[in-house]
Amino acid sequence: MASKVIMPKQGLQMTEGTIISWLAKEGDVVEEGKPLFEMETDKLTIEITAPATGTLLKIVREEGDVVPITELIAVIGEAGEDISSLVAAPAAPPQQATSGSVTQRVFASPRARWRSEEAGLDPATLAGSGPEGLIIEKDVLAAIDSRPAATPLARQAAQETGVNLTDIAGSGPRGKVYRRDIVVPVYHTQREDRLIKLSGMRRVISERMRQSLDSAAQAVHRIEVDMSEAVRLRNNLKAAEISVSFNDIILKSVARALLCHPRMNSRLTDGGILELGDVNIGMAVAVNDGLLVPVIRNTDTLSLVKIRGESRRLAEAARTGTLGPDELQGGTFSVSNLGMFELNSFTAIINSPESGILAIGAIKDMAVVVDGEIVSRPMCGLSLTYDHRVIDGAPAAGFLREVKNLLENPYLLI
Amino acid sequence: MSIKKYAVAIRDVIAEEMRSDSSIFVMGEDIGPQGGIFGCTRGLLDEFGENRIIDTPISEAGFTGVGIGAALTGMRPIIEFMYMDFTYEAMDQILNQAAKLRYMYGGKATLPLVIRGQQGIGRGNAGTHSQSVEAFFTHIPGLKVVQPSGARDAAGLLRTAIRDNNPIMFFEHKALYANSEEVPDDTDFSIPFGVADVKREGGDVTIIATSLMVGRALEAADILAKDSIQAEVVDPRTILPLDMDTINASVRKTGRAVVVHEAHKTNGVGAEIASRIMEDSFKYLDAPVTRLGAKACTLPFNLVLENAVVPGVDDIVAAVQNISYR
Repeated sequence: MASKVIMPKQGLQMTEGTIISWLAKEGDVVEEGKPLFEMETDKLTIEITAPATGTLLKIVREEGDVVPITELIAVIGEAGEDISSLVAAPAAPPQQATSGSVTQRVFASPRARWRSEEAGLDPATLAGSGPEGLIIEKDVLAAIDSRPAATPLARQAAQETGVNLTDIAGSGPRGKVYRRDIVVPVYHTQREDRLIKLSGMRRVISERMRQSLDSAAQAVHRIEVDMSEAVRLRNNLKAAEISVSFNDIILKSVARALLCHPRMNSRLTDGGILELGDVNIGMAVAVNDGLLVPVIRNTDTLSLVKIRGESRRLAEAARTGTLGPDELQGGTFSVSNLGMFELNSFTAIINSPESGILAIGAIKDMAVVVDGEIVSRPMCGLSLTYDHRVIDGAPAAGFLREVKNLLENPYLLI
Repeated sequence: MSIKKYAVAIRDVIAEEMRSDSSIFVMGEDIGPQGGIFGCTRGLLDEFGENRIIDTPISEAGFTGVGIGAALTGMRPIIEFMYMDFTYEAMDQILNQAAKLRYMYGGKATLPLVIRGQQGIGRGNAGTHSQSVEAFFTHIPGLKVVQPSGARDAAGLLRTAIRDNNPIMFFEHKALYANSEEVPDDTDFSIPFGVADVKREGGDVTIIATSLMVGRALEAADILAKDSIQAEVVDPRTILPLDMDTINASVRKTGRAVVVHEAHKTNGVGAEIASRIMEDSFKYLDAPVTRLGAKACTLPFNLVLENAVVPGVDDIVAAVQNISYR
């Protein structure tokens, strides 16, 4: 039975999309979940995966075609299958398709889902032993038991690179797999020049970075923050089975500080400086050869736990390419965190038309002087890039000091 | 410590409290020379006299009203119902007066009233003398509802009830009166309301049971242990206030819950507990919460049929196995 490929709806406001390129040609065998074509909306460029495995029997709409959502663009089936009725049929009635791939519902108990999430397992990969194939905790625990020993970072790396952990000989004790066993440095052995086509996302990034530096008068302030109290807050919450990241605590603090410093939450318009009523913080997420900045709406009104949920969801959606355009718009300020790369601090470029971006470095134990004594404290370097056209050095410094104050006294966030 | 029967533990606490507080008196049917048909006031008439151990005619609404009035005006009455089934006779006094008066007097009045008596199966007393009626009193705000499952809990909870300034519904069980247990001799020994007791620890399933069903749940747990299923048995002891903290902690550990009571399953307290487990601990559940309770059937006169209507040990074992997915 042949499957239709339709123009997927990527976000609430999308009505049509442009096919940029087909990544397979008629007659090719395609695999469900693997990229099939690249498309562009008025908001973004995105790769869409094949909804089924089979032979790409017919490409109905060519590269460059602008196609309304849900309309037929290709057919996948078995080689030689008669698809004349499908191709000749009038456009399918509009459906609520939210992504290019059709997913099968996974039945798992709430507890099994909880355990899977904790262990970084996808319940869809498990066989259920409960009634009617329900995946229960036992199935998750068995899967955890049977999988090779590996660090969480190694598991993440394996997932990202598509490597099967069982194929890796771990370098740790009893064969435990470390990240270094998977992500070995790839040396550039090719001697010829290589031209990389500016894909949709790369092109958007290069244009917008240039435009940001061309228009905004970007200046940078740096500050060091003692994270002792933030560490305590995070540990206490963890003891209560609520896990939040430092990034979440920083997002909450920045949102709160923006309420006191509305000029940091503004944009320069033809009419003047527009101080924005909503605080929508964008968080920079690195993706394969690119960068996305999904937006946490009304960050100032969300509890820490809500921010945690939203930031995790958006980061995951960014990595899996399932962000809708609605989730990439409306930011009023951005935060970029490269702490995981052990940078002390770094300078970010403003995500225009916003007026500021905060760059977060790693939290490191450092020797600092407190009350005349040299003590070890977990320190974090913050670096604020601001647009000097709309805000001057002193008020920008005031904003940064407010963020520092909130992070050093996180109970002020209550 | 002394080993006491459940009925004796209750009588002793009443006597101890009456000795130290002259505002306490007991009122009810056949509680004087006969000492109550289950012996819970045996010997009290001799010690405390007719002014404090008051025999009444069959007049539940009347003597409940007397108790409420006395409580409002400075006394600490203990009203004994021969059968808690008979509270139906006094529903207006209990639900419209006792439960509401502290609120309606703007908190200016106290109402230190204990309404106590036995209920449940075990003697083939038929439909109007074998019911478990506690759920009625948990629906209307203003009462505290207690269901001790053993002599020690009965003693500790009854002392708390007598010393509480609110109306308390204290449900004893006719089939538990003869059970013996160690009870502390301390005349201040008490158990706070709203604190559940983990009667048996286990990691595979939580059985939440009340009153007579606690013993049956423990028997079921022994049988299940032979099948390598370790059941944790939690006795809330007071169903209002209800200790959801202990119940949630147990369910979050085990991921499975069976709620069992002798009262009718339909709209019983088990429905409330199961519902709150799902609201509080949904993400920790590995199986649906199961309820066990009496079938929707009038309690039969015949002892064999009586036991067929309420949950038995086998029913609890089967319910646990059914959600264990082994």
